[in-house]
Parts: sequence; C-alpha cells; structure tokens
Amino acid sequence: MQHKADIRHARAASPERRALLRLDGITKEFPGVMALSDVHFDLFPGEVHAVCGENGAGKSTLMKIISGVYQPTSGSIVYKGQESRFASPLESEAAGIAIIHQELNLVPHLSVAENIYLAREPRRGFLVDRKKLRADAKRCLDRLGIDIDPETHVRNLSVAQSQMVEIAKALSLDAEVLIMDEPTSSLTEQETNLLFQVIRDLKASGVGIIYISHRLDEMEEIVDRVTVLRDGRYIATDNFHDTTVNEIVAKMVGRSLEEKFPERLSEPSEEIIFSAGGLTRRGVFSDVGFSLRRGEILGFSGLMGAGRTEVARAIFGADPLDAGTITMHGETLTISSPRDAIAAGIAYLSEDRKAQGLAIKMPVDANVTLANMDEVSNGFGMIDFAKHNKVANDYVELLDIRTPSIKQPVRLLSGGNQQKIIIGKWLFRKPKVMFFDEPTRGIDVGAKFAIYKIMDELAAEGIGVVLISSELPEILGMTDRVAVFHGGRITGVLETRNTDQEEIMRYASGYGPKAH
Amino acid sequence: MADISEQGSVRLSDRQKDIIQKFAALGSLFVLVAVFSLTSSAFFTVNNGMTIALQVTSIALLGIGATCVIITGGIDLSVGSVLALSGVVAALAVRDWGVPVPFAMLIGILTGSLCGWINGLLVTKMKLPPFIATLGMMLIARGVALQITGARAVSGLGESFGVLGNGSLFRVVTIGDDGFPNVSFPGIPYPVILMVVIAIAVSMMLNRSVLGRHIYAVGSNSDAARLSGVNVSRVVSFTYVLSGTLAGLTGCVLMSRLVTAQPNEGVMYELDAIASAVIGGTSLIGGVGTISGTAIGAFVIGILRNGLNMNGVSAFTQQIIIGLVILGTVWIDQLRNRR
Repeated sequence: MQHKADIRHARAASPERRALLRLDGITKEFPGVMALSDVHFDLFPGEVHAVCGENGAGKSTLMKIISGVYQPTSGSIVYKGQESRFASPLESEAAGIAIIHQELNLVPHLSVAENIYLAREPRRGFLVDRKKLRADAKRCLDRLGIDIDPETHVRNLSVAQSQMVEIAKALSLDAEVLIMDEPTSSLTEQETNLLFQVIRDLKASGVGIIYISHRLDEMEEIVDRVTVLRDGRYIATDNFHDTTVNEIVAKMVGRSLEEKFPERLSEPSEEIIFSAGGLTRRGVFSDVGFSLRRGEILGFSGLMGAGRTEVARAIFGADPLDAGTITMHGETLTISSPRDAIAAGIAYLSEDRKAQGLAIKMPVDANVTLANMDEVSNGFGMIDFAKHNKVANDYVELLDIRTPSIKQPVRLLSGGNQQKIIIGKWLFRKPKVMFFDEPTRGIDVGAKFAIYKIMDELAAEGIGVVLISSELPEILGMTDRVAVFHGGRITGVLETRNTDQEEIMRYASGYGPKAH
Repeated sequence: MADISEQGSVRLSDRQKDIIQKFAALGSLFVLVAVFSLTSSAFFTVNNGMTIALQVTSIALLGIGATCVIITGGIDLSVGSVLALSGVVAALAVRDWGVPVPFAMLIGILTGSLCGWINGLLVTKMKLPPFIATLGMMLIARGVALQITGARAVSGLGESFGVLGNGSLFRVVTIGDDGFPNVSFPGIPYPVILMVVIAIAVSMMLNRSVLGRHIYAVGSNSDAARLSGVNVSRVVSFTYVLSGTLAGLTGCVLMSRLVTAQPNEGVMYELDAIASAVIGGTSLIGGVGTISGTAIGAFVIGILRNGLNMNGVSAFTQQIIIGLVILGTVWIDQLRNRR
C-alpha cells in the first residue's frame, strides 16, 4: 500500500521538489466510526491540490487533522521535512498552516486591520500602535491587490471581501500552507475570478494550497492535482489535466448510481396535490412557482444561496412571504407561522439538524412526539405516557433507530439516527407534503439508503415529497422532476430521467437550456 | 453493532454522573443536617424544623418560578421587587380601600402576575434580553412600591391579615396546669403547605404536561421547538407569568407574617431564588432543571442560614459560605457536563 502510494506520488510530481506537507497512512477512529483509514496526501510548494469526495468522505476530518483540531489515531505527518504533530490549531497556525473555513471566522464589529492582527496587534507599551496596525494591514491587502480600506468594519464587507480579509490574515501569519474549504460556495462569478487571480499569485509565491470544493467545474482553472476520498478511504491522486471530471466523479461515487439509491416504487400520477405560485420574499427569491404531483419526488437543485431552502422555509412559515399563493389538495392555505403550516399538513426537515431540528438535550421519545403532543395527551394537557412511549418505540422500530433506549438524550446518537428521529417526528404528524432539506448531509451510507427508502415509501403513499439537495447524484437518483434555482428564481423544471449533471449545472448557474 | 455498545457505556457513565450530581446536592443536605445537629442541640427539633421550613418557603416559591424561567433559557431578576409591590398592594387594598383580606391578597398575587406578564411581553414581543427586561422591571416594581407607600411601612392591617403567614394546620395546644397554653405540636404552617402543594403541582406540570414538555423543548432548542409548531412566545410568557405570580404569593405570605407591608421587603431575594435553582442542577443555558432539585437547593440555603445562625456565625460569614456553596455546586455541574 505504502509502496503503491509512493509510485503514484512520483508520477504526479517531479522528484527534485520536496513535499511541503506529507501525510502517510492516516487513520482516525471515533467511537464506533472509522472516519479515515490509511489516507495518503501530499502537497508541494506552489501547488493547488484539490481534495474531493462526497459529504462524509472524510475531507473535513483530514483537514482537521492537518490543522491540529484532531489527532490521528495512527499515521505520520511530515511538514517541511519534519515529523510533526499539531496539538491544536494554534500550533499548526504558528507553524504556517492556515485554514479558511466555509463559515468565515471574523469579528464583525472590528475593523479589517484589527481582524487581520487580532491578538497579535502591534503595540507601543500597553497600547495598540494604531498607525503601524493600519500600515501593516494595508501592506497585506496590497500584496493581494485588494482594494479594501483597513479601517472598514468587517460587518460592512461582502462575503467575498471578508474572504479576502481571511486570506490576508493567513498571509500575515506567513502561512505556507493554506487550506480553503468551499471558498467559492457563496461567491458570484466575478468574485470567484478575483479569488482565482489571488490564488494564482499565491501559487507563484510558493504557497501550497489545499482546495476543497464540490464545484469540480471550476477546478480546471486553478487546480494542479486532485486527491479523491471515499467513505474515509484514500482512492487516488491524479494530475488534474490527466483526468476528467467524469473520472473524478466516478471515483468519488465509487459505485453505480443504482446501488446507492433504492429502486423507486412510487410512480407519479397526474393529480396535483400541492402547488405554489408567485412566491416572493423581497431580496431573497421572487416569483417562484412549482407543483407537486401525487406519487412524485420533486427535487430542488441549485447552488447555495440560490433560494431553495429559503422558499421551503417560507412555505413552512418559518420566514415571512411577501407574496404568493400556496394550494394543497385544491385548497388555498394561509400560512404565517410553522404552526399554521404543520396544522395544514406540511412538514419541513431542516438542513441544520442540530440547530433547527432537534431538542438536543432531550431524549429520543420527547423529540419524536414534540410536533404532535396533542396525540399523546388528554384533554387537560397531561401526557398519556403509555401512548407516548408506545409511539416512541413504534418509530424507533419502524425507522430502525439505533438507540439503547427511548430515554437516551439525542445528542449521544449518531447523525443518521438523529436524522431518523426528526423524520419520525414528522411521520407521526401524518403530513401531506414533506420537504426534506439536505436530509443526508453528514450521514453514513447505510442511513442514507434508509432515508431514501423512506422518501420513496412516502411518495408511494401519496405524500408529496420535495427533496432539496446540493448533491446532484442524489437529485438524479431519487427525483422524478427537478426544479433548478438560480438567484432566487426557478430557472427550469427538468424531467430527471432526461437530464444530467451538466444540464442541471447550466440551469443552476443561470445559463438556461443548452444551445443546439 | 460496535457503536451501540459504545453508546451503552456512555449512557451508563452518564447516568452515574447524574446520580452523583443528585446525591451531591442531597448528600450535602444530609451532611449539613448532621453537622448542625452535633454542633447545636436546638437544631434537630420539630420546632426548628418548622422554622426552617417556614424560612425556606419564600426561597422555594421564588425558586420554583425561577426554575421554570431558567429552563426556557431566561432569567427573572424582578421577583424580589415584585413581591414587595404585591404585598404592598394587598396591604393598601385592605387598609385604604377596605377590601376583605382574601380578595386583597388575590389582588396582590394578580399584581405579581401582571408584572410577570409584562416581563413576558418585553422578552417575547419586544425581544429584549431577559436580563435587561427583568432588570427594568426590578427597578420599576420597587419604585412603584416605594412611591405608593411613600416609602413607609403599611401597618394596622388587622389580625386576619396575619393568618396566611402565621397560621398553621394541626397545631396542638394544651392548657398546662399553670393555666398557660402549652404548644405540644407547633403545627404545619400554612406557607409550608402552600410550598409543598405548589412544588408538586409545578413538578407535575413540568414532567407530565404538554406545557412542561414545551418548556423544556424551548430551552433545549427554541428554533427546533418553533419549527415543530411549539408556540414559543406563549410558552416563554407563561414562565414569566408563573414566576411573577409566585413572587406575588410570596409577597403576600411575607407581609402577612409581619402583619405589616414593607416596600423594602425582598431585596436580593431574586438571587436566592436563582441560587436555589442553580444549586439544584438547573442550567442557566436552559433545557435542564427540576423542581425537586430546586427544593433541595432552597433547603441547602435555608439550613445553612439557620444552622450558621444557631452556631453564632455572623451574617457576613454566612454570605461567604453560601457564595462558596454556589460556586462549588455549579463547578460540580460543569464537571458533569464536560465530556
């Protein structure tokens, strides 16, 4: 294994260059989960090395090991020719490894300069040397060719500008390795181009960049090599120009789509059970309309921030709507809060399980019954515990939720089981329409399959199912039709069986139908 | 399969930690009783037991309200002032408007409810942080209480005003040979009965009712609760109304005991209430807390005060000791939650 990996590396890089960072045989075990097993990775100065893999493939675990958040269970990390172990992100940062997270880590109420030199402010005695702070920050920004006033407060910056500030901060730390996690996910095309220009300049100055992204199409412009991980395992490292996007995707997925998704039992009929028209929330999305047929799974696709989640949340009453009509089974609904939506029979499985889906300190049973307490209580509002516990046990069994007991606090369960609990909560409500927002994010393969099966069964029972997903294979594997969002609008509704990733991406980036 | 056994072992130690925590509070209560019984012969007597119970009632009643508020992730700093206002209003109703005592006390209690309702509005509708909203109410209620009484005690309330605070059930009095009455059993004071009934009722509410479930859910994750159809504003408001109502009741009890309404009564009581909840394991982050824990917390504070008094420990030293107890128990709680 070791030997084979070395051969691959030799092919990918010229032998006289010495690796800046080299990881060998990295294994990371969490209780009950093998997050990474025997992973290899190396990075040369002046190189952009992409790490690809599906959600849960182990990309972020690997990055956390490089940056010292986690310690590997076994394996070696060689940084600048020396065997290294970073006990914390502070240590790796001091050694010159900087990470720019998808969620930016800046203090909004401080200025750009103060953010760049946070906790390392130049001092004059006890006081901050403001003049030097400003001048140093200006120099940092100039080096990147960015035109931002160092005195501006970060809260007034766009996402792209904030990202530039993060990069400037990393450079001010003399970073030699820069990890970028989904840097373009919330950037416009123009901003992306600017970012790529900065990345090229960094390459030229010898910085090694680890680039994590789902947007394979963009990588061509900047990426030198690509390493693919799947289910915590190292698959391959290739020169980007010797491979194709399709090959990379094939390595990421590893098996054919048929194996990953259950056979669809439900079949769409002509009967429309739910429709929305002219949905508008100013500044977020406008004039969104779609309809959902009995037995159908409808996909919502599009890039982050395109309006998929926002539309679902507004339909569910979690955010206000400025205009639009919502009709279910021929009846027009007025929804001003999640309570209204739930009463009408709409369920929404939120994309952020921990923040919006679960009462994390409460046990399994309390979470399963939370949305439907009336069913398990008497007229005086007192809980009927016999009924309550039966319901909880029933759903634990039905959904194969792995828990020692229904009294187990949900925070101690795995992501897949937590997600099943939320699904159980909504199934107990007997919804008529259910929105699944990124239902399989960060969930292991087995649980994913189970969740897909549940969606299919729901559709077969005549419940409207909407699947919101950033993962195109999931959209292609599970839906009958897909509504593609771009810039707060639906740019196209495609028949899933007649479309492909490329066409969906075209619509998602606002280009519209392919010119023939 | 492996992950189940793993979770199993986590749960076991979790449960053990829970038990340790429960026993830490309850055990320290027993230790306190044992120590004070040894150091003072008058401590472990029926009479002193009733005295302690009576002293604990105000802390416990306020602590029960505080617990519910804190479980939702809030805080109520206004209860000390609200109890003064409520007691004063009840007393003025008797003295100046000639309202019969039971109705006057009801007016007093409802004054507390009103203050709690306003707190709830400030928190849920005006989105003020609970700390600020109830800090404002703390100043306002105290100010109103001082204003309407001219900062003077309201006295001359008649004997019936004192029944709630001084009366007791099953009091056994025999007339001795010398013709003087001889109290063979002091009886269970009405305030103690009130405390027990309310503690059981609120505990039932928290553990067995839908409302209670919603209170925990809001404190555990208010976003998730809202997206599950819980009327978060109403649940949160309810806890403030409950806290205010119990403050009103406490005010009436305290003023009744003195048969005089003091607009300066109850200063800093909110801190005792919060301390009893926290000693009892209620988490200030929300989502965690029990009435039984709070009752233990209230007794820890009450017994410490009483026992230290009996041993002639100065009030200043008492404060130091109670402060240390709060720090110690919460530190144990932190240890328990760190994993």
